[in-house]
Amino acid sequence: MIHSKLSAAVSAKENTSERQLQPVSADPAQAVLKTTRRDFLKTGGMLSLSSLMGTAALMTQSDDAHAAVEWAEHFQKNYRLMTDQEKAESRARLEKRYSSEYGKQVTVDTTDAQPGVLMGYALNIRKCIGCRRCVHACVAENNQSRGTKRAGEKIEWIQVLRMERGKFDAGKMNQGYPEGLGIQVGGNAYTPAGQILEGQYHYNPEKVPEDDANYMPIACMQCEKPPCVKVCPVRTTYREPDGVVVIDYNWCIGCRMCMGACPYWARRLNVTNPVLPKEEMNPVTHYLGNRPRMRGVVEKCHWCLQRSRHGRYPACVEVCPVGARKFGNLLDPESEVSLILARKNVFRLKADLNTFPKFFYFYD
Amino acid sequence: MKKIATYATILAMCGGALYSVIAAENVAEQPVQVEATKEPVVCFESRKGASEITQQEIKPGWPNVKCSPTTGAALWYGDPFEGTVPMGKMPLLENIPDGHALVKPRTEKLALMPLCSTACHNGVGPQFTPPTLPKDKRPTPIPTMEAMVPDLKNLQHGRDRIWCMDCHHTTKRNMLVDNFGDPVSFDQPQLLCGKCHGDKLRDWRDGIHGKRIGEFTTGGKKRWFTCTECHNPHNVQDGLRNKGFVQLQPEPPPQLAKGMKDAKHELVHPVPH
Ligand code: HEC
Ligand code: HEC
Ligand code: HEC
Repeated sequence: MIHSKLSAAVSAKENTSERQLQPVSADPAQAVLKTTRRDFLKTGGMLSLSSLMGTAALMTQSDDAHAAVEWAEHFQKNYRLMTDQEKAESRARLEKRYSSEYGKQVTVDTTDAQPGVLMGYALNIRKCIGCRRCVHACVAENNQSRGTKRAGEKIEWIQVLRMERGKFDAGKMNQGYPEGLGIQVGGNAYTPAGQILEGQYHYNPEKVPEDDANYMPIACMQCEKPPCVKVCPVRTTYREPDGVVVIDYNWCIGCRMCMGACPYWARRLNVTNPVLPKEEMNPVTHYLGNRPRMRGVVEKCHWCLQRSRHGRYPACVEVCPVGARKFGNLLDPESEVSLILARKNVFRLKADLNTFPKFFYFYD
Repeated sequence: MKKIATYATILAMCGGALYSVIAAENVAEQPVQVEATKEPVVCFESRKGASEITQQEIKPGWPNVKCSPTTGAALWYGDPFEGTVPMGKMPLLENIPDGHALVKPRTEKLALMPLCSTACHNGVGPQFTPPTLPKDKRPTPIPTMEAMVPDLKNLQHGRDRIWCMDCHHTTKRNMLVDNFGDPVSFDQPQLLCGKCHGDKLRDWRDGIHGKRIGEFTTGGKKRWFTCTECHNPHNVQDGLRNKGFVQLQPEPPPQLAKGMKDAKHELVHPVPH
């Protein structure tokens, strides 16, 4: 029954989108299959619904303002389904709560994707020196948890992978399987070069780059066909019309399906209560971007929506000392990313998976 | 459930009270401490020694820059345009609206600059008879200069195929020089470097080589990093490393996963060699 409804809805939607040649998410309020989510709640969600009611009942008993705000938050709609009015209310609610929580004026931006913009990113893999400044700029900008006491309390969205240069060595010509006869079944005269799965994330030499290594930063690729979006059972992670894959944290149930689906290890779960000291908190936030998260929700890179929706470079781009990180509008032929795509040798990570990242690696 | 919540509230309130006591003490002590211990936090940008920023609050709770406590590197820009001036005329960048292409001037960073035009041997003027202009551009040791700028003892640029006068103006020593022999400001080194590194200049102009910060949109307000903010013109080889960018101390590594004591496992290859 659910099945037939779903497929009917899907084909109806496909018909219209085919004619208009528009990405499904370009008009999110319409693209979302309302029946589907209702069905989901109906069948699988009875239990969680009742537990929500319980929470609400508990909350209403106290007349604490903080609790009242949280209560309202529990019952707000998925961001994509909110009217402008509801967005404004939600925004006011959050600004009030965050401002009192962090002791400064916090803003929660709700700026939509700008028409004519499709964001893209390019990283010069030859220049990267593995200094990790991007990683820490990202944390300074995006209000990640930065505790140190318990495992999982420190969250970083960018990972920098160290890869050994590797080399072939005449002295090892005879090594391999079976031992001593390597040459017969395939020589083993190498030490590994550029093997991702043997990568090192925790390197900490006095100086980088090291002579015998190169480096490869990885974060969310903002795929055009994001596997994480496909698997999200509550549809709280989705692709925005300007190409960025975002999360409505309030609707995330922490099931980690997206983490499993992402081939780029880009998503992080707040396993603990986030540790975000007041003085380090960045008060300029976006609803779908860097606003403070809660325990049990997933987060990831969103190309600094709070900046990029207002034309500003993401934080990682600005601090890269070697200028390896490039960002811009893919629909603008003059932008630096467009020029890189036009002129340089570029590749996408794991292109064989057909995720179509808008994050490109290049070299010159 | 309700009981727990009540306890939690009481606890939280106690904590809050305690905190406010501590906070009050801090406030009382602060004025004295601020005077005594508040040293300005300064961080460097790309190349160590090439450019720095002093951290300060530009709005309540909003610093101009955040510096790394580990390495002293700039980690976040609250104001990407601090200390910048218009880039000046650049061929093929004329379409950028006025005031949207900015650079940090190099001149004020160069300690010897005031000397270079006056006290220095410009080679002209009554005190220079006969003129001391170099006869040709070939490499010769210049002990006076080596004493002042140690990098010049062993000029690591061009592998003996270029020398001072390929870059510095012969008679105007506070200027660099372009292909026509015309003077070029130290604040526009791209016009100098570009005469030999045309491919890099082209990429730089398009935002592909080097770095721009601020607004990413075409025509948006940007600070452009100049060539010398990243490259030391007297040493672009760094000895045996043979690299155009010097090494830096990295920022700290990520947190270890639960139950992990160290990251030695990363160094073990699953396939024997
Ligand atoms: C590749 C071009 C190039 C060559 C070759 C070169 N210089 Fe320079 N020199 C520069 C540039 C560019 C600067 C400005 C550096 C900056 O902005 O940090 C500079 C700066 C200087 C300064 C000022 C340094 C200071 O800290 O105030 C002196 C002095 C100097 N050069 C002397 C020499 C001498 C002597 C030689 C020959 C042995 C030489 N240079 C060769 C490009 C060059
Ligand atoms: C007069 C010509 C000339 C000028 C001007 C010049 N260079 Fe060079 N540069 C060279 C030559 C020649 C080489 C060496 C190429 C080789 O032999 O490998 C070189 C090499 C380099 C390298 C690569 C280092 C290496 O050897 O691997 C860098 C980086 C560099 N230059 C940067 C600059 C910058 C920055 C400027 C402007 C301040 C500049 N150059 C100005 C001629 C020039
Ligand atoms: C944001 C920092 C930055 C700026 C600004 C910058 N460069 Fe570079 N440049 C680099 C890095 C990093 C490399 C790679 C160094 C390496 O690995 O050898 C490099 C490499 C080079 C090389 C060597 C090319 C090669 O293939 O090895 C040249 C030449 C060069 N730059 C010239 C310039 C010129 C000319 C400018 C100004 C128009 C400039 N750079 C501005 C960071 C910068």
